[in-house]
Parts: sequence; C-alpha cells; structure tokens
Amino acid sequence: MTPKPAGPPDGGWGWVVAAAAFAVNGLSYGLLRSLGLALPDLAEHFDRSAQDTAWVSALALAVQQAASPVGSALSTRWGARPVVMVGGVLTSLGFVFSAFARSLLHLYLGLGVLAGSGWALVFAPALGTLSRYFSRRRVLAVGLALTGNGASSLLLAPALQLLLDNFGWRGALLLLGAITLHLTPCGALLRPLALPGDPLGPPRSPLAALGLGLFTRRAFLVFAVGTALVGGGYFVPYVHLAPHALDRGLGGYGAVLVVAVAAVGDAGARLLCGWLADQGWVPLPRLLAMFGALTGLGLLAVGLVPVVGNEESWGGPLLAAAGAYGLSAGSYAPLVFGVLPGLVGIGGVVQATGLVMMLMSLGGLLGPPLSGFLRDETGDFTASFLVCGSFILSGSFIYVGLPSALPSCRPASHPGTAPPERGELLPDPQVALLPPGGPHSTLDTTC
Amino acid sequence: MRSLPSLRGPRPPPLPLLLLCLLAPVRRSSEDGRTPAAPFTSLPVREEMMAKYSNLSLKSHNISLTDEEKRGTKRSSELTMVTGEHSNMPVEKNITLERPSNIELTCQFTTSGDLNSVNVTWRKGDELLENNYLINATGSILYTQYMFTIVNSEQMGSYSCFFEEKKEQRGTFNFKVPELHEKKKPLITYVGDSVVLMCKCQGCFPLNWTWYSSNGSVQVPVGVPMNNKYVINGKNANETRLKIMQLSEEDQGSYWCHAIFQLGESEEHIEIVVLSYWVPLKAFLAIAAEVVLLVAIILLCEMYTQKKKKHSDDGKEFEQIEQLKSDDSNGIENNAPRHRKNESVGQ
Repeated sequence: MTPKPAGPPDGGWGWVVAAAAFAVNGLSYGLLRSLGLALPDLAEHFDRSAQDTAWVSALALAVQQAASPVGSALSTRWGARPVVMVGGVLTSLGFVFSAFARSLLHLYLGLGVLAGSGWALVFAPALGTLSRYFSRRRVLAVGLALTGNGASSLLLAPALQLLLDNFGWRGALLLLGAITLHLTPCGALLRPLALPGDPLGPPRSPLAALGLGLFTRRAFLVFAVGTALVGGGYFVPYVHLAPHALDRGLGGYGAVLVVAVAAVGDAGARLLCGWLADQGWVPLPRLLAMFGALTGLGLLAVGLVPVVGNEESWGGPLLAAAGAYGLSAGSYAPLVFGVLPGLVGIGGVVQATGLVMMLMSLGGLLGPPLSGFLRDETGDFTASFLVCGSFILSGSFIYVGLPSALPSCRPASHPGTAPPERGELLPDPQVALLPPGGPHSTLDTTC
Repeated sequence: MRSLPSLRGPRPPPLPLLLLCLLAPVRRSSEDGRTPAAPFTSLPVREEMMAKYSNLSLKSHNISLTDEEKRGTKRSSELTMVTGEHSNMPVEKNITLERPSNIELTCQFTTSGDLNSVNVTWRKGDELLENNYLINATGSILYTQYMFTIVNSEQMGSYSCFFEEKKEQRGTFNFKVPELHEKKKPLITYVGDSVVLMCKCQGCFPLNWTWYSSNGSVQVPVGVPMNNKYVINGKNANETRLKIMQLSEEDQGSYWCHAIFQLGESEEHIEIVVLSYWVPLKAFLAIAAEVVLLVAIILLCEMYTQKKKKHSDDGKEFEQIEQLKSDDSNGIENNAPRHRKNESVGQ
C-alpha cells in the first residue's frame, strides 16, 4: 500500500533542492551575464562591431526565456529531473560547438540557440520543483536560490577573465562547456515529489502540457498582464545602468560603484524579502504590488538624477537611487515566483514558472532596444529610465487587482475527510504535472 | 607662433645681432616687453630659412627656468637644501613630431642676480650649436631663442639650452616621432586558426607600415611576398593589419610592426602564442569525468536510501500485518486503534 502524499516537506531534502536551484541560477543567468567579458575578444577575432557580438548574449537570453514554457511542458510530462539533466548536456554542447566557431554565425547558433535552449530546459523546472518542496518558507528558499546569479557573477567573472588570458576565447568557451555540464548533477538532485493536488495522469496533449489553460484563471491572467508590463522595464538597468552613470558624469570607477551598489542591494534584498514574506504579516500579492511600485519609483529616480559636477565625485544621488532600485528589484524577484502556488496551486507551479519566464522575455526583448532608441533620440537616458519606470509602475498597478487573500498554505491535516474540490480552481483535469506519485486528493488549495 | 607678430612689428634696422648675443646680453627698450613671450627681431639668416621652408608649419616650444638656489638662501636654512636639489634637476619637454617643420625653441631664465654674467649656449646632444640663436634680457628675465628646421631623421634628438652662472641650468627639448600604442597581453590562438595582428597610431599618419617577426634578436620581414599565409592590409592610413592563416606552432613568437615616418620609425611588439586544442581539451575531459562521477554518486545514494526505506517500510508492513492478526484474535473492539495505527503509518 503506497502512503498518502504529505504536504510540502518545508525542509529536509528541500534545502538540497534549494542549493541545486542556486547552482542552476548561477550557471544559467550568472554565466550569461559574465559572458560579456568574452565579447570584445570575439569582436576582435571576427572583425565585427560590438553590437554584432552583443547579439550573441541577447539571443541566448531571448531563447532561454521564450522557450521556458517548453522546458516546463517537458517536465510535466517526464519530470523535472531528466529534463534538467538533458538541459545541462545541451548547454554544454552549445559551448563546445561554439569553441570551434569559424564565423559569428556559428556563435549565434552554438551559444545563442543551443545553449539558450539548454538553459530554457533547466531554469523553470528547477525553480518550480523548489517551490513544491516548501510552503511556509517558500519565498525564503526561492530568494536564496535567486541569489545564485549574483554570487556566480562574483566568481565566474574573474574566473572567465583568467580563462581568457590563459586559453584564449576558444579554450575559455570549451572550459565553460565543462563548467555548465555541472547543471546535470544539479538536475540529478531534483528528486520528484508527490504532493496532494497533483493531477492524476500525464497531460493528454502537448498544448495542455504547456499549461496554457492556466490563463483562463482570472488571478493568473491579471498576474500575467502585470508581469508582462513589468518585464518591459525590468531588464533595462541590467543593460543601461552603467552607461547612464557614465553619461551623468561619473568616471569609470564611479559607474562600477553604482552597478555594484545596485547588485549588492539586489542580492541582499532577495534573501531579506524572502524571509519577510514568509512571516505572513502581509499577503504576498500586496507585497508584490508594493515592491513592484518601489522598483518603478526607484527607476524614475535613477532617470531624474541630475548631472554630477565633476568626474571625481562619487555621485551621491545616483548611488542612492541605484541602491533603492536594487533593494526593490531584489525584493520583487522572489515574490514573482513565490506568489505562483497561491495563484495556480502547487500542481501548476512548474508550468506557471515557464509561462512567467516567457512573459518577461516579451518585455525583455522590447525594453532594452526601446531604451537604446530613446537614448539615441533624446541624447541621454532620462527618457529611457522614465519610460521603463512607468512600465513597471503600470504593471504594479495591475497587480493591485490580484486577490489579496490567497488560499492557505498549510497542508491539510486530514486528507481523507475534506471533500474533494475538483473543478473549482482547476478547469481541466487534463492539466497535469508530475508523473504518478499516487495522489488521491484533488485539493489544490493546499500550496 | 607668438613671436611672429613681433617680427612684423616695428623693428630696428637689421644688425648682426647674432654677434652681440654671443658676447653679452642685449637690453631692450620697454616697447618690446609688450608681448609676454620672447620679443626678438628678425635675422637675415632666419628670413632666408623661412622663405625656403615656408610651406612647412611652424611649431613653437617654451621652457622656463628659475634660479631656485638664489631664492632659497633667502628662506630658512632647512629649505635651502631642498630647493638646492631641485635646481639641479634638468627641465625636459618631450615633443612629438611627425612631419618636417620649422621649429622655434625658447628658454627663459629668471634670476635675481646679474644677467650679464650668465653664459648662454645651445647644444644638440653634446654638440655645441653655433648659429641661429638670439638672446634678449628684460627686467630680471633672460630669453634665448633657437630657430631651425627639421626635415630628416638626423635632425631629431635632444636640443638643450644652457644658462651658466655659478651652477649650470639646463632646459631640454626632446624630439621624437609618434609612438605606437603598446598592447600588453599576448594573443592566444590555436593550431589551424587564423589571427589578425593590428597596429594603430593615434592621431598620426605614417607613410608606410612594415611587419617583422623575430625569434630571438634578429628581425625578419614578414608578408613581403604576399601568399595565402600572410595578408597585410589596413582600413585607414593610421592602422595596419597582418592576417596570418593556417597557424602552426612554428608561428609562435614575437611580431613587430614598424610605422615609417619621414622623420624616423617607431615600432610595436605583439606576441602570439599558438596552442594545440589538446591543452584545454585535457581539462575539459577531466571536468566531464568529475561530472559523470557526481551524477553516479547522487543517483546511487538515492537508490540506496530508497531501498533502505522500502525495506523498512516492508518491515513495518509485516509488523502491521502481524499486529492485525493478533488484534483479530483479541476481539473486534480494536477497530478504532487499528485505524489510528494505519493513519500513523500512512503518513
């Protein structure tokens, strides 16, 4: 007789999964950010402009985010573990292929398409699985995992520079392929978990596996629209904060300090907000709207900072604005994933994660080019930051429409006694998740 | 450039001022103190030279010297030593010259002592220069000016003005061709790959570029017979690119690019390292083996713990069945405890 599934363990193996998700985040987003160090060498070797080589990272990021629903669909069919392991191998192959590139096109295909697809297969399943392992400390665990990319940038950036100096860009890409192969052991750590609320069988069709049915839920639809808007502004500072600091009159090191302040604030806030959100003092959707609004205001402040008098000054107002932006954006990040189980139930988390990534990618493709265009038209970044700040503010305004009271996240103590609430929140029994763990109750209000 | 207006201004009749300059400082009326720089009149020799090279541009350079030591003695005794040291340091000015030009060098010397006792000379390197220089004194400042033309590389070098009193004060003008930007890191390439070496001159336009490679101290020209291994081209006049294809390990080493100007040459050094793919590949295979090992360990550990759990579960089930049998034999009133026991095992 198989035992009835308990609720999320909220610890135990869950911390191992958190560590695995931390590494996954670091080896995907963190590595992508550090990849910019290799771009000048590539531009020099292939005799192309910096803009052409910048497309390598942009393409990888776009493929990673846009193809995320595919990753989550595959993991609903076969489980997160095999999908992430395959994703690790795919990413590694992409890097190895690009190490032997004879033209920039090979790099677009190898790093952009192959590695990007591999990353698409790893991020959403890992984070979705992590959400399933926790209930009371979920946002903290997600926040912990999301600090992975900050930590990895600190480690990988100097390591990559060392590789470039000793092995050239070809050897560096080859060895990065070996490093990203570590995504596979991380995937091996994602033990499947059976939870009450998991649908019965595998999804009937690939389309159902994508989880598009989740959009019929009003709460998720509101969330999706808000997140798509926020995505339009969220990624702009990653690209344009440093050039903006330089434009405002700070020297090279001043700009580095501004970016560092934002990054450190971001990383610290992820943990702090994770802990704070889990205390349950404020409902998660309200926190989400609040930190979204603060991020938008922070970006408005960054855009409106006056020109610094001389290059030697440390740019006080800009540092303060960048710090405020970093703290708010860092608090926003784990909340985006932490609020999902309440919106779609623990059963739909993996698919919802994939969809959220795709939504943010729409904004991510639109935001930075628009910001660059505004910069070229108006002469500085003020308009760019004002526009992206207002995108985020409007998204946060839409978040206010989310239900403030989400279903309780405590596991039911008598699974046999409560009546099954089939059909109330799940529109379609075909929308399915992890393979048979023998769930009996269809209560997906437990998150 | 500042002295040009004075040349066109009111001048006294052309005298052999040169002889006067060699003998004694010349005192001028206050009208010449109008221009802040050296107020000199023209010289027949100079006019002739200007006409010959009138198509060349005129470049003026200026050095100020002060007799610090004299001032120093008026201060307290501790400071005297410090300023004394300073006054012995030569004052130098580095000048970058790309094309033939007319040159005008001016030195001014400030002293509180007697200007007449100062001996003024100009030298190129160690060689004393005989003509073409003027001396003028205004108030407590002694001016001297040397004009000449640089048309070839032999005329480049260091030109110095000397003021000899009790101690020798010297100002030096160093003329050099533009230097190329120094690259620091060696280029790392792989066997079979191709590489582009680039040399660029900031703000200057050499007449020609040449490339050399060296193993040790001898420089061998490279790319002169252009074949399918070496290609030299450049997008603008101020840069050159050497493309080397089908790299092999013999191509490893130092390469030099020479920028040729009318007035000399400057060079830059680039180093190439050619590795075989096996070098990073070894590391890659080692790391890949480590990853495979990790995955195996993780999966085996999991299978082991699950097997153990299953055995203990089976063991518990067995105990449970035994318990039920014994309960049954005890009577029916044990229904409730049985349910509780089941539930506690089930979770």
